[in-house]
Amino acid sequence: MQYQSHKIAQNFYTASVLLFLVQVVVGLIAALQFIWPDFFILNFNTIRTLHINALVVWLLMGMMGATYYVVTEESESELWSVPLAQLQFWATVIAVTAVVAGYIVMGLNPQTNTEIFGTRALNEGREYIEAPRWADVLIVISVLLFLFNCLMTVFKTKKFTAVQGVLLGGLTFLALMYLPGMFYTNNMVKDQFWWWWVVHLWVEGSWEMIAAALLAFMLHKLLGADVKVLAKWMYIETGLVLFTGILGLGHHYYWIGTPEYWLWVGGVFSSLEPIPLLLMVWDAFRTTREVRGVVPNRIGLYLTVAHAIFNFVGAGLWGVIHTLPQVNKWTHGTQITTAHGHLAFYGAYVLLIIAMIYVTLPSIKGVKEFNQSRGFQSFWWMTVSMIFIVIAITGAGMVQTYLERLLGLDYVTVKASYNLWFWIFRALFGVGFLVGVLILVKDILGFGQKPAA
Amino acid sequence: MSTNAAKNLFIYGSLFCFLVLVILTIDTMGKLDQRAPEITEKVAAGKKVWHKYDCIGCHTILGNGSYFAPDMTKATERKPKEYLKKFLLDPRAIKQDSAMPKLGLSEEEADSLIAFLEWTSKVDTNDWPPKPILASATAGRTASTGQMLFQKYDCAACHQIQGLGGTAGPDLTHAGLKQPDVEWHIKHLKDPAGTVRNSAMPNFSHLGDEDLKALAEYLITLR
Ligand code: HEC
Ligand code: HEC
Ligand code: HEM
Ligand code: HEM
Ligand SMILES: [Fe+2]
Repeated sequence: MQYQSHKIAQNFYTASVLLFLVQVVVGLIAALQFIWPDFFILNFNTIRTLHINALVVWLLMGMMGATYYVVTEESESELWSVPLAQLQFWATVIAVTAVVAGYIVMGLNPQTNTEIFGTRALNEGREYIEAPRWADVLIVISVLLFLFNCLMTVFKTKKFTAVQGVLLGGLTFLALMYLPGMFYTNNMVKDQFWWWWVVHLWVEGSWEMIAAALLAFMLHKLLGADVKVLAKWMYIETGLVLFTGILGLGHHYYWIGTPEYWLWVGGVFSSLEPIPLLLMVWDAFRTTREVRGVVPNRIGLYLTVAHAIFNFVGAGLWGVIHTLPQVNKWTHGTQITTAHGHLAFYGAYVLLIIAMIYVTLPSIKGVKEFNQSRGFQSFWWMTVSMIFIVIAITGAGMVQTYLERLLGLDYVTVKASYNLWFWIFRALFGVGFLVGVLILVKDILGFGQKPAA
Repeated sequence: MSTNAAKNLFIYGSLFCFLVLVILTIDTMGKLDQRAPEITEKVAAGKKVWHKYDCIGCHTILGNGSYFAPDMTKATERKPKEYLKKFLLDPRAIKQDSAMPKLGLSEEEADSLIAFLEWTSKVDTNDWPPKPILASATAGRTASTGQMLFQKYDCAACHQIQGLGGTAGPDLTHAGLKQPDVEWHIKHLKDPAGTVRNSAMPNFSHLGDEDLKALAEYLITLR
């Protein structure tokens, strides 16, 4: 069955992968600025802002596309309103373009970043949520329109499936958790306290809920696995994610001026966070093993399993190594954090969205067979490069922690001389990563045009 | 476990955890004011400047932010305000190879920023950042009076000797080769700006003549 609504999912996918390309190109510039600070017309801070904002926005757009697809398929119906979804897509594209333009103008001349209504006009100067207040409002409207449309579809068709429940529940949680970042306080400690509500409760709460739901959806779609069993494990996984993740928020409240009891709360709960992620790996393997016969969409399955594995390695393992206060005291705010950030985002969410694209695009385009080799090529270019980037940055982080934090050498000395080779390695493998992204973009944009030769 | 039981556990368990988080948050909010100095108007203005120029796009503060530049939590602890102000206004005017660009701050903005950074340095962070182990192990193990004074006045906040110390000023490992004249060093310490054009080094004219001489004599031994 072909739906109009799937066209919208495809629009979101296209925008997603294009923004991914932008993200990685600016990421490469950021990496070169570690070697030559004046490498580009825009300073490092603007480049980094573009890098991480493009990342968050393309992942969100990918999630929206995926959700429009899932809701349509699970409800066996068109969306409540296709034109509304179309409008929401274009409104999002326009808002994102305006925000990016604002960052660039601000980067070229910081004096343009004036104060309006108590906040900044172009760049709020808060990591990840740099988008100014007017953009926050647009983002909230866009997300509300999106949620409204999906929920109306579900209520209209009354097909309250488990996957839809957790998926839309996670998205509602996501929308709510944007709000703590939308007010100004003149206390830096409170500022960071609420800022972490947004950042942590997104990636270690609502986004993981969405990931668990999409994982169940993909395993079902690819393998035809039993919905009831998948649903049960999905509930257990999401439950454990939230039991550990919500109070795991404490691992960001060790040293920012908050009371000492957070050392205990954060240490205990966040060390348990890898457990549900490991369960997801097991879930993916168990389901895959149960299925006999050939799976036609090999690349889709491959990416799904890879997502589960790298979610555990990047978020779970690379997270848990520095989550205890005794370790975090020395590594807090070093390159160790960057290494974890990259592998976690890549494994948990980049691979998730790419997997969803490969799992759903064949139905969207109405193709049964497609050339899968490009998908594999891009996967290997990206994954191998990412592993080496993370090894390089973990190395840099260990050297930094040892020399700067333990021995007391100067930050600038460590960065400029001892760690120089790590920056060079990162930039080199960054090029490899870019190759993978280019292959991906080419494959997704031209998907299904030429049948397999 | 049945699917339904798993579902209920997930829903009610999560809501319970969230409730605990809300309670802890309320408790924390009540305690924050005792853990930091009062926020004056100048501090509040400084925080706005911090956001305006997106300092967090390169620096961390309280350990959070970007890892391109040093942490700002204790930035005012070891360096005098006059130096920091000059640096903020135009980093490369006083340190040619600085990786921080000139951002176009006004004098007033620089002053409030420094007030803001002073406030941050006094927040009770549960002793973060920790004191480096080696630095505390070697402290006090010195020979000459000059070397002791070098430590006492924390010249290492800005100067490196054999790899240890800050990078705001030149490396002093070979200071004695570059400038072997004791009198020059005394004059420079008393009045850096009158000795070196545009010098941003704080002046040490408040030191007694003997201390200045001891320091200068120590400096020329660095070869
Ligand atoms: C484009 C990146 C960038 C931006 C933006 C930036 N800095 Fe810096 N800053 C650096 C780097 C890199 C250093 C390290 C010193 C060096 O290379 O000389 C530094 C050094 C400093 C120092 C000196 C630290 C010391 O101990 O000597 C202070 C203070 C400082 N920055 C404050 C700020 C403030 C306040 C802002 C915002 C108004 C800001 N910086 C914005 C990159 C940046
Ligand atoms: C806040 C940072 C700062 C502190 C603290 C500081 N200096 Fe300096 N120093 C500088 C700067 C910047 C220069 C470069 C400009 C100049 O030569 O005056 C400099 C230059 C020097 C030079 C000349 C080096 C050369 O290669 O030309 C000597 C010697 C020196 N300082 C000694 C000291 C001594 C001794 C102390 C401690 C009593 C000290 N400094 C404390 C910032 C500092
Ligand atoms: C699920 C996906 C996850 C993602 C995408 C993610 C991402 C990130 C990112 C980007 C940061 C840096 C934030 C900043 O810029 O300041 C960070 C910090 C951190 N993360 Fe994660 N994370 C995830 C899961 C986890 C888990 C499961 C743990 C622990 C078991 C963990 C432990 C930490 C810790 C301790 C820090 C703070 C580092 C510091 O003190 O500097 N993370 N995470
Ligand atoms: C070509 C590949 C890439 C390069 C060279 C690169 C480079 C960089 C650099 C230099 C920074 C700044 C780090 C700092 O402040 O010290 C950064 C930050 C970041 N990048 Fe990338 N990046 C790449 C790909 C990616 C990808 C694919 C993701 C997502 C999976 C990602 C996610 C992030 C995040 C979350 C941050 C901010 C958090 C942090 O620094 O810990 N990057 N990146
Ligand atoms: Fe976290």
